[in-house]
Amino acid sequence: MSSSGGNEIERIHIRGLWVRFGSVEAVRGIDISAYAGRATALLGRNGAGKSTTMRVLAGVIPPTEGEVVVDGVDVRHDPLTVKRSTGFCPDVGGLVPRATPWEHLQLAARLRRMQGWELRAQDLLERFDLGAAAHRVTGGFSHGMGRRLSVVLAAFHEPSVLLLDEPFDGVDPLGVEATQRVISDAKDRGAAVLVSTHLRDLAMEACEDALVLRGGSAVAALGSEDLVGEDGARAYRALLD
Amino acid sequence: MPTEHSWTELRRGAEDLRALLAFRRSGLTPVSRKRLRIGGGLVITLTVAAIALPAYLKEPLGRNVGDLVAIMPTFYLGFLVLSVLAAVSSGGGRELVPRDQAVAYPVSTVTEHLGALLLAPLNVAWLIQAWALLGSTTYIFGPHYLPAQVTPVLLWIVLSTAVGQVVGWAFEGIRRGPHGTWVARGITTAFGAGVLALVLTHTLTNVLDHSPTVRIYLAASYGGGADWGRWSAYVAVLLAMIAAAVLIGLLPARWALQRPQREELRLESGHHEPPPNPRSDLVAMVRLDRASVWRSVPLRRGLLVLGMMPGVVALGGALTWDLVTILPGLVASGGALLFGVNAWCLDGRGALWRDSLPTSPRISYLAKVVVLFEVLLVTGLITIALAAFRAGRPTAAELVSVLAALVVVAAQVVATSMRWSVTRPYASDMRSARATPAPPVVMAGYSARLAVKTTVVGLVFSATAIASTWLVPFLVAVPMLLWSAYRLARTESAWAEPLVRARVVAVVAS
Repeated sequence: MSSSGGNEIERIHIRGLWVRFGSVEAVRGIDISAYAGRATALLGRNGAGKSTTMRVLAGVIPPTEGEVVVDGVDVRHDPLTVKRSTGFCPDVGGLVPRATPWEHLQLAARLRRMQGWELRAQDLLERFDLGAAAHRVTGGFSHGMGRRLSVVLAAFHEPSVLLLDEPFDGVDPLGVEATQRVISDAKDRGAAVLVSTHLRDLAMEACEDALVLRGGSAVAALGSEDLVGEDGARAYRALLD
Repeated sequence: MPTEHSWTELRRGAEDLRALLAFRRSGLTPVSRKRLRIGGGLVITLTVAAIALPAYLKEPLGRNVGDLVAIMPTFYLGFLVLSVLAAVSSGGGRELVPRDQAVAYPVSTVTEHLGALLLAPLNVAWLIQAWALLGSTTYIFGPHYLPAQVTPVLLWIVLSTAVGQVVGWAFEGIRRGPHGTWVARGITTAFGAGVLALVLTHTLTNVLDHSPTVRIYLAASYGGGADWGRWSAYVAVLLAMIAAAVLIGLLPARWALQRPQREELRLESGHHEPPPNPRSDLVAMVRLDRASVWRSVPLRRGLLVLGMMPGVVALGGALTWDLVTILPGLVASGGALLFGVNAWCLDGRGALWRDSLPTSPRISYLAKVVVLFEVLLVTGLITIALAAFRAGRPTAAELVSVLAALVVVAAQVVATSMRWSVTRPYASDMRSARATPAPPVVMAGYSARLAVKTTVVGLVFSATAIASTWLVPFLVAVPMLLWSAYRLARTESAWAEPLVRARVVAVVAS
């Protein structure tokens, strides 16, 4: 773990990240730093490289080039340890269609060596209004229910790096509130949170920092105050073109 | 339904079918297009060969056709039964475009029906049976007026497929009704009990001898004998029956497809009592994969059919132990085609999340292997158990041969399926009873390759069954198992590569 200029602990350290799929360059040399107790929003149009960056940080996609360090561990050299310290809510689905939420939680608890996890699992499911659906297969869930459960699974083991890809997409106001609380709790216990979303207003409520990506590259690093309100909307719009 | 409206619907349905076929074709890579052309050419070549070669067989093989003539009506009837079973077990028929991809388009039930008819031949069992029918017919009648001989048989093949669709849609409609699952089970049980009663009362042969399909044989003979008057009459009747079956099929197709998918909805909304916490990572992974198999309607139904049908056929045909060795290969191929050839489709969109969990790739790979292997073993054992009722008491060599065939083909099919799963993944949610783990054309290629491999192994153990000692099949099985183990390990190494895994996961989760 390295430190920024102050006393903040740098939990995500990306320098010169490139990700290529054949001839397609999904991410083109971006740098990101995210610190303990802070949330960073990843903003940008479709295809900007937000989800690919998230997947690299979750250890699901290997970086083609560059340095990616999560909580002091190089993702290329030790992806298993990186997976232990991260909680990942993928942008698409993210749920096994014929397993129940409880079975998802059982698997996560087993693989993450969690003991006495049942009360926390129940509490999270209740907070996200999924208690009544805990033993129904997720294939029958609405999109919003699926998103909420994905956030629960990402936050379940209280990871030091929380990666939320489109957590607000199609989620009702109560689900949004619960997600904001999860982000707030994670920051309080010293986790770094990365939130990728198209919903700028919600992102600015939850995050202190913002990084705008375009065409696989980072085009601006801003404080959340720079992207709030009408002025923020105009500034953001200008960065997308 | 006004006739004018129906004709318009039919025309639109055919146009939409062409559009959907073009949509599917546009998704093919140049390599896939080349494979498709080669596969299509191969099917046409084999069909011509199946018609022509038996007709020109001469001395010293001779043309002793007496026994063959006696079973031809049963053979023709068998094709109809196969078509019906295929349509029933696939929820009416295969989807030209998966449900989740077609949801944005107004695909009519007419298009669904015509698409299912078009896809029915993309099935190695259908093709092999069709070739066998054509070849047996031309073998009997020789090379005289070959096109005229095979025309009634070709029309019968088309008619059987169309009738199969009619029954398949009707059965699917019943299944989707209130208490439909129980009604469908009742019908299946009654049918099975009827066949069993015929077998036990030794009246099956008598019933089959009176099959009306003898007329197909007669029509072929009129063609071979240049009796054009009667031949034309039969051909005209068959053509009319095909047109009628295709049109009649529109009604149950519409009825079935407009009913709610109750069984799927019941599984998705039902309460599943949580099991105790798993004792190991592998147990946890296996448990989730097992649930993904048994909570999927197409997989449950497919496995039931696979376990029961070859066994029932063996019961009816009173197969001897040396022939029972062929059955595990049929069952294993069928089982792999249900999901094994694209094993990560079990995770669907959850693949990304599962891959983000802190566990060795080896564990997730091993879990898929275990689940596929156990499914193939269980269904194979059910088949063997049913066949055993009439196969008599086996010798030690016969028993070991059958069991070795079961284990060897299961290992062989698992190794092949896992390789395909890693090298050629597809996105498939397996929710609908009509879903397949890969596109229909790819499935046809897979089924042909698996059928050839497993039949060869079955024949090898058919030969070892007549050995004087059980050591022979045992010693034959050992190197085959080692080879499959080596192939499994090689695929596991590929899966352990982060780039390979990322590609598989991204595709199945898309």
